Amino acid sequence: MTDSALRLPRRGSRKRKEGRSRWGENNLAGYLFISPWLIAFFAFAFIPMVLSFALAFTDYHILRGWNFIGLDNFQRMFYNDVRYWRSVSATVKYVVFAVPLRLVFALGVAMLLNTNRRGVAFYRAAFYAPSVVGASVAVAVMWREVFNREGLVNAILGQFGQPSIWWLGHPDYAIWTLILLAAWQFGSPMLIFLAGLKQIPEQLYESASIDGANGIQKFVRITLPLLTPVIFFNLIMQLIAGFMTFTQAFIITNGSGRPLDTTLFYALYVYKRGFETYEMGYASAMAWVMLAVIALLTAIVFRTSSHWVYYETDEGI
Amino acid sequence: MMKTKKGWLITLLVLVAMILPGTAALGQDETVELRMAWWGSQTRHDQTIAVIELYKEQNPNVEIIYEFSNWDDHWTKLATQAAGGDLPDIIQHDYQRIQEWVTNDQLLPLDPFIESGVIDVSNIAEASLAGGRVNGQLYGFNLGNNSETFIIDVDLLEQAGIEIPPIDWTWDDFEAIALKIQEELGIYAIGGNLHYSEHWKGTYITCCDAYAYNAEGDGLGYTEEQDQYFVDYLNLIKDLTDAGAIPPIEETIARTGLSVEDAYIVTQQAAMEYGWSNMLVAVWNAAGEDRTFIEHSVPSMAGGYPRNYIKPSMFWSISKNSDHPEEAAKFIDFFTNSVEANEIMMAERGVPISSAVREALLPQLNPAQQAMFDFLGAIEDYNSPIRPPDPVAHGDINSNVYLAQVVEPFLYGQMSAEEAVALLRQEAEILLAQ
Amino acid sequence: MSSAENPVSRSLPYAGSARLSPPWYQRKAVRTVLYHVFVGLATLAMLYPLLWLFGSSLKGPSEIWTRQTALIPNEIHFDNYKNGWDGFGDISFATFYKNSFFYAGVGTLLTVSASAVVAYGFARIKFRGKRIWFGLMLLTLMLPIQVQIIPQYIMFNELGWINTFYPLLLPRLGGQAFFIFMIVQFIRGIPRELDEAALIDGCGQGGIFFRIILPQLKPVIITAAIFSFYWTWEDFLTPLLYLNSPKLYTISLALRTFSDPSGATNWGEVFAMSALSLVPVFLIFVFFQRYLVQGIATTGLKG
Repeated sequence: MTDSALRLPRRGSRKRKEGRSRWGENNLAGYLFISPWLIAFFAFAFIPMVLSFALAFTDYHILRGWNFIGLDNFQRMFYNDVRYWRSVSATVKYVVFAVPLRLVFALGVAMLLNTNRRGVAFYRAAFYAPSVVGASVAVAVMWREVFNREGLVNAILGQFGQPSIWWLGHPDYAIWTLILLAAWQFGSPMLIFLAGLKQIPEQLYESASIDGANGIQKFVRITLPLLTPVIFFNLIMQLIAGFMTFTQAFIITNGSGRPLDTTLFYALYVYKRGFETYEMGYASAMAWVMLAVIALLTAIVFRTSSHWVYYETDEGI
Repeated sequence: MMKTKKGWLITLLVLVAMILPGTAALGQDETVELRMAWWGSQTRHDQTIAVIELYKEQNPNVEIIYEFSNWDDHWTKLATQAAGGDLPDIIQHDYQRIQEWVTNDQLLPLDPFIESGVIDVSNIAEASLAGGRVNGQLYGFNLGNNSETFIIDVDLLEQAGIEIPPIDWTWDDFEAIALKIQEELGIYAIGGNLHYSEHWKGTYITCCDAYAYNAEGDGLGYTEEQDQYFVDYLNLIKDLTDAGAIPPIEETIARTGLSVEDAYIVTQQAAMEYGWSNMLVAVWNAAGEDRTFIEHSVPSMAGGYPRNYIKPSMFWSISKNSDHPEEAAKFIDFFTNSVEANEIMMAERGVPISSAVREALLPQLNPAQQAMFDFLGAIEDYNSPIRPPDPVAHGDINSNVYLAQVVEPFLYGQMSAEEAVALLRQEAEILLAQ
Repeated sequence: MSSAENPVSRSLPYAGSARLSPPWYQRKAVRTVLYHVFVGLATLAMLYPLLWLFGSSLKGPSEIWTRQTALIPNEIHFDNYKNGWDGFGDISFATFYKNSFFYAGVGTLLTVSASAVVAYGFARIKFRGKRIWFGLMLLTLMLPIQVQIIPQYIMFNELGWINTFYPLLLPRLGGQAFFIFMIVQFIRGIPRELDEAALIDGCGQGGIFFRIILPQLKPVIITAAIFSFYWTWEDFLTPLLYLNSPKLYTISLALRTFSDPSGATNWGEVFAMSALSLVPVFLIFVFFQRYLVQGIATTGLKG
């Protein structure tokens, strides 16, 4: 029993090989299990995706119809569209800051709440609360109120002698309010981390204690490696979600990208081109460029995962 | 795509249905189903639903299925439905967007229904309908008259010792008044939004009797020498902002999209507010009965033409794929001409265009509605003719050039007014030429 | 339980001297108090939006904008709830609630159960083309919905499914990529020994999934159910596009129709109904999180 604790691999080591032969290919069972997804994918998702890909090479205007225009959309976005690059830079900035912040908060709080202390159920609910209020009209009103000139943030900073600022209207700060909002709504990755922590057998800790390991050792040797599949999952998902961020910005800045396009996130710009000026062909082209970029990043993270993600089984995907 | 084919088919069907009077009789005994969509807030939803119920009561053979949303959702959904060839029969439409929808063949001309008397326009002035015409045909049926306005808090102006300016006041007058309000009361003269593209267009209406766009919609409607007028306007806004009479751009942007209830005119942090005239009802409602407001004209350039024009607040339009355009037209007629229906709505969408309805409502108006009626009455004698609807490129120019690249960078101090206006000319002409 | 041995405790006077009962007790108490102070303070920042929302939902029209930061209203207006509940025309929030429960309830059931099945296939079974399908599945997450709306709408329109719940629910029969991936990651953290034992006992893949894997997936399934319910509950875009009749509107959609920048909005009612719309989401969370606490760690399967 204790041996599984001792057998925890160091970073980068590939796992045991012995059970492998018994788990050979089983195409029938495999396809049977994933058939619900396959069917739903081909019935509902495949056609719209292919169509939107095709539309990327047209000048499709929602009300007018379309003509094939080759790569014009791509040329336009890379060379002739100032706002496109503004949206790229806003999105990159958001991803670079919001994603790590969110993950660190989520993991830290999950660790804190992974205990049997009294009242922890209440704390868990409380930390999940900001994520539940989500992206409703009410949150938009509240968030603006918090960053208003007479709002909470200015009131607190005022204690330290800072002058009041219109946070949401200032080109240097507006995006930070959205990053902060994202960091504060860490509820979903936190719950996933919690579920991951719950999955780590307690016996591992017990036997490690017997071996005289201290808390930090336990964290580094047991918690972290066993949590890597979940960390990996959260990293990938938050990365994707970061690039696709839409609703919060749409509601809080009224979908305007203001001030000075510093909150013009990519998906928001895609929406504006598609539904405000009806240039759905152009919007599709932008969307597929983004897909390519996210896919590339995801592929890179997947590649590195064999060096740092620990799986109990070596069924590679 | 298949869409175009379908479009043809539907056009054909509609034409056939219109040419053959016999076919209309087909559905006499059956229930006619009409779909209808509008945007608005809760008040409008409640009122409109009540009017629909009333109509159904009087026309038991008609079933109206309605969809209501907020502004953003309304347009997202309509665009999707248009692409799917599945638009509602009756659509609440907007002056800024109708041109694009008509050019792309999504709406039905309403003139045949006026000629056949289905829609009764005997109590409606031609000027009230003009805004809904595209290329000479009527596509949008005005739901109420509107005009740009400066809402004025009468008490605050009195406190500052300022008299209500004359209707033909100029931006110079405004500057003097604004500075005085700031000086005397220490509040903003006006709640902001003086950088919208309405003011760009308005500048050329009042200085030169011209319009921002030319008649063909493929270029700007003013000369390069006339750029200076808009440069002057932008500098005026900037100066007043620096003087504390207009909220700085940071503030305006941080506050956009907030509700009427939080407008500075309501909270007494500004003595005036720029907006459309049908906004006053909501403003007054939020501010409370003990306050006093009037609506006033928007200033002109010195010695120029009147800025205000009478604009349809919004339209009813009938979509091209409607199966029952005539029934839809009947409903529009009811909505416009029925006193009973309008007593439910009480000019929530702007001042009713039918003189008979207006007269019937007069004794029942509350002070806010009264002020709105008074204002439009005054504007009827002092206005510029309505301009043709904006060219198709306007939406693109407004959001991707005018606001994003020109006016906001200028107000944030990133470029001079001269640079901004020159850039506007350059970028707008590219988009218009396409 | 697993938190670090507090290095600070070494400097405590008791440390090292009296190793038996009192110091132990003291140290634990100190840590517990520190824990509650720290977490409790953070909780305040986290609960602020809820408190603010409930506070605002009880404010009268004059207070909402003038005393925005105040959490406790001067004057309590319960009528916001009553009037808000009445909804639009003759459609009250009871209808919207019913629709939301239907959509979120059935949607969650479909999503989570399908996702678990599919995830097992991806995580535990070797088959040809697996990497391709998995990659494709992840790709579906990377294309913004904004450009898929129109093709999707045309498709569902051709099928005659507009104004029904089919476009909202049927695509969920295949699970959702997010949850499939999530459950895959958890299954891959489960050791193989038990599978092997079951295999020897003559279980097929189906048997392994239902008897061995599924019971161990409880925490992640619960987590998935909480998310799925909430995300479906707050989804307004799909209902907006596919449900035309207000009788079919969900709460999230109805809440959005309350306000329009140009018109008068009764904000008290908006806040009241927003607050009320959170209640089911929160109840689901509180109800399910009990199961979250007793994870695999206490079931002792590993022994």
